[in-house]
Amino acid sequence: MDLAPSKPFRITVFGAWLAILFLTLPFAVVFPVSLTPQRYLSLPDGELSLRHYQTLLQDPSWILSIRDSLIVATGSTLVAIVLGTMTALACWRISSRASELVRMAMLAPMIVPSIVHALGFYQIWAQLGLLDTYLGLILAHAMKGTPYVVISVSAALANVDLRLEQAARNLGATALQALWKVIIPAAKPGMAAGSVFAFALSWDELVVTLFLSSRGVYTLPRKIWDGIQDNINPAIAAVASLMIVLTVIAMVVRILLARRQARLAAVPTEP
Amino acid sequence: MSASITLENVTKAYGSHLASDDVSLEIGAGRFVTLLGPSGSGKTTLLMMIAGFVRPTKGRILAGGRDITNEPPERREFGMVFQGYALFPNMTVAENLAFPLKLRGVARDAVEKEVRRMLDVVHLPGLGGRYPRELSGGQQQRVALARALIFNPKVLLLDESLSALDKKLRAGLQEELRDLHARLGTTFVFVTHDQEEALSMSDEIVIVNRGRIVQRGAPKALYDKPDTRFVADFLGRANFIEGAVSSLSGREISYGAGGLSLRHALPVDGAAPQPHQPILLGLRPEKLRLASEAPGGTANAVPAEITLVTYEGADYHIRATTPLGSMQAVVASTGGGASPARGDKVWLSWDQDAAVVLRDDR
Amino acid sequence: MTADMDARTRRVYLVLLLAPLFLLAFLYLYPLSRVLWLSVTVPTPGFGNFERLFTSSGIQNVIWTTLRICVFTTALALLIGYAVAYAALHLRGWRGELLLFFVLLSFWLSVLIRAFAWLTLLQSRGLINTWLMNVGIIDAPLTLIRNEFGVVLGMVHYMIPYAALPLYANMKGIDTRLVPAARGLGASPVQAFLKVYLPMSLPGLISAGILTFIFSLGFYVTPALLGGGKTIMISEYIAVQINETLNWGLGSMLATSLLLAIFALLAVLSFFVDLRKVFGVK
Repeated sequence: MDLAPSKPFRITVFGAWLAILFLTLPFAVVFPVSLTPQRYLSLPDGELSLRHYQTLLQDPSWILSIRDSLIVATGSTLVAIVLGTMTALACWRISSRASELVRMAMLAPMIVPSIVHALGFYQIWAQLGLLDTYLGLILAHAMKGTPYVVISVSAALANVDLRLEQAARNLGATALQALWKVIIPAAKPGMAAGSVFAFALSWDELVVTLFLSSRGVYTLPRKIWDGIQDNINPAIAAVASLMIVLTVIAMVVRILLARRQARLAAVPTEP
Repeated sequence: MSASITLENVTKAYGSHLASDDVSLEIGAGRFVTLLGPSGSGKTTLLMMIAGFVRPTKGRILAGGRDITNEPPERREFGMVFQGYALFPNMTVAENLAFPLKLRGVARDAVEKEVRRMLDVVHLPGLGGRYPRELSGGQQQRVALARALIFNPKVLLLDESLSALDKKLRAGLQEELRDLHARLGTTFVFVTHDQEEALSMSDEIVIVNRGRIVQRGAPKALYDKPDTRFVADFLGRANFIEGAVSSLSGREISYGAGGLSLRHALPVDGAAPQPHQPILLGLRPEKLRLASEAPGGTANAVPAEITLVTYEGADYHIRATTPLGSMQAVVASTGGGASPARGDKVWLSWDQDAAVVLRDDR
Repeated sequence: MTADMDARTRRVYLVLLLAPLFLLAFLYLYPLSRVLWLSVTVPTPGFGNFERLFTSSGIQNVIWTTLRICVFTTALALLIGYAVAYAALHLRGWRGELLLFFVLLSFWLSVLIRAFAWLTLLQSRGLINTWLMNVGIIDAPLTLIRNEFGVVLGMVHYMIPYAALPLYANMKGIDTRLVPAARGLGASPVQAFLKVYLPMSLPGLISAGILTFIFSLGFYVTPALLGGGKTIMISEYIAVQINETLNWGLGSMLATSLLLAIFALLAVLSFFVDLRKVFGVK
């Protein structure tokens, strides 16, 4: 049954578009600012300049902080993928009250405010000598990323029939072979989605990083933070523009991939 | 190579609930045996114990005389077609079929050859490159069957394997299954809640209820001579007549029910009920005859008023109130004469040996 | 039907379950418990730190500021998020998808970049003030940041996707025939919404609201940058205790209190909805 859009609905839609404007406008402003010829934040006045992008390429501190961010985000994503996938697999298969508790415990880093676990990491990492090391930051970020992997792998496994394991066993696979050849491949889409979350989380993480690293590991968010703190300069707008563009590209690619998969899944079924 | 399966006093307890209660069963090598029962009756538990996914709390399971109670499922060499098929979604049809062969270390070209042969057997040539989700339900069913048979299992287990398909497709696959069974000679153990499927396919039906085996036998024997009210009710349609025995002469008894005096001819063997005992008889609707006048002769007859007529193609299914309560009858729709209608006053009659004495297990 | 496992399978899956749990316990729960421990042992054992919750007006100020900002943020984010989710779900074709795309884009964009963008717009020599002065509407720059307005603006901007996405998921589960059915029975659009749709979406609204509030409580980056040291929320206050005054007792006490408050809120939330569903594990 179809009803013509009512007036209240049209007002709601209008409000929604206003909200989208509010959500995107600040990001849109970053682009012209990054092209200003001035040394301070301003809109370009007739003349466009790429000098702030040049700064990014020429100033080694930007390159180095991007490298550090890549190292930490990649490392922590790998750790989170392993831990999160293991947990999700076990909870999927065992599915008892105990495994539910474990799963809830694994979610704690998602709920606890960053500042609270930042203090804890700081205390213990100091004892372990992990402050201002890649490993220290990787482990801390991995703890924060793991819940997202647990959630997305669990979601992927929710559609996986327990009978797949039984089928594999029945056909001659041991428990480990069934896990490796049948269950983990089925969990892969969830692992991929979870790794995107874990990577983005680490790439953007600041609060824990502020406590755990100083000069030895100097990630991009840290560099931006310090840049904003002492002297806002349009080079940050250039970085921000690049990151926004990358995010948009990643999202569009994801949507196109999802479309393609949906199309593949919808091929005619009769021979 | 097919194997017999023996269950010895097998019990499976989930807490205080007995999913299977002291079941002993012998399934002969090469037979097509159906475990039939309502949902929750414990038939699937029995199958899962045979497959090795559920471990019995008590009792032993043997295959070809060898104790396999503690053997993990992957060593039992039983093929299984799962409910919902359980095809590996990340593998193509060919990879699904190759999976058990690769695990057994079969050489690659032999695997390819065998996969192609098996696809032909289940009438799916050329579909090896497809993914399961790209197949129709019937095709998925055939792939699951091919995968379960490709490693020449000693036994094939089928768990509600046809229930998800529509009626016509199901009939086709039932024929294919019986044909495959005849050609391969593998032991088939089939679990279903669908009594028509059980009747049409099996050498033998084992009726399961509340974790126990209620009755077993060839389909026709079970249908014609059910032991209990449950079996008569579950397998096909039945009228039940509750009465009390008034007298016994030879193998013929008289009994009273609904204020009428009726007669029943007992089969030549078996126990005979004693006078004044309650008696329960089951009567298949197709054994009832419909007449507009009171029939003469030795047949039992009751007056009836038709309350509902359902046209079923070849037959009419009739529901009528009688002194014995509501009864149902099935009569051919092809004969001449007026078709029965609601409100018709008629007589229902049946031969003295048409009914079966049942044990009331309700 | 749950199949029970043979011993070897059980062993495989127990390792999968316990290995990450041990790592979590050592690398996460232990550090966390250390914070709780410090709050009752430093500088002297006892609940002296917690007494300051009731005696120090400075701390009470920070807490009130935090609560006020979080309430405003949650209310605004819910209102806007609800409208966006509703429109995204009920608009036909590409329009709805486009709305959702922008929400997701905003969801994925860096918190630092947001704060930076707002600074660019709002600071005293920022784009808005410059423009307003050039046009001649104002003479002196407006104070748009370094106050609660700026913080709430930045936080609402961050939280809208966090409110809209779960609301969208919740609304997707509401039978689309219900509102037409109510209209068919004589309800006006507004009545149909208030009597049918809103009650159906209430559980989603409550859980999205509490989640938004919980996330808001722990905000650090946005208030630190847009509050500019003037408007201080609890996370920043804790950081200052640790980094500048090295007051671990007070810092860990506030962190503990924050944690307890959040768990209390989660307990409340669990009355309304299944927490496992909220966090997507069921």
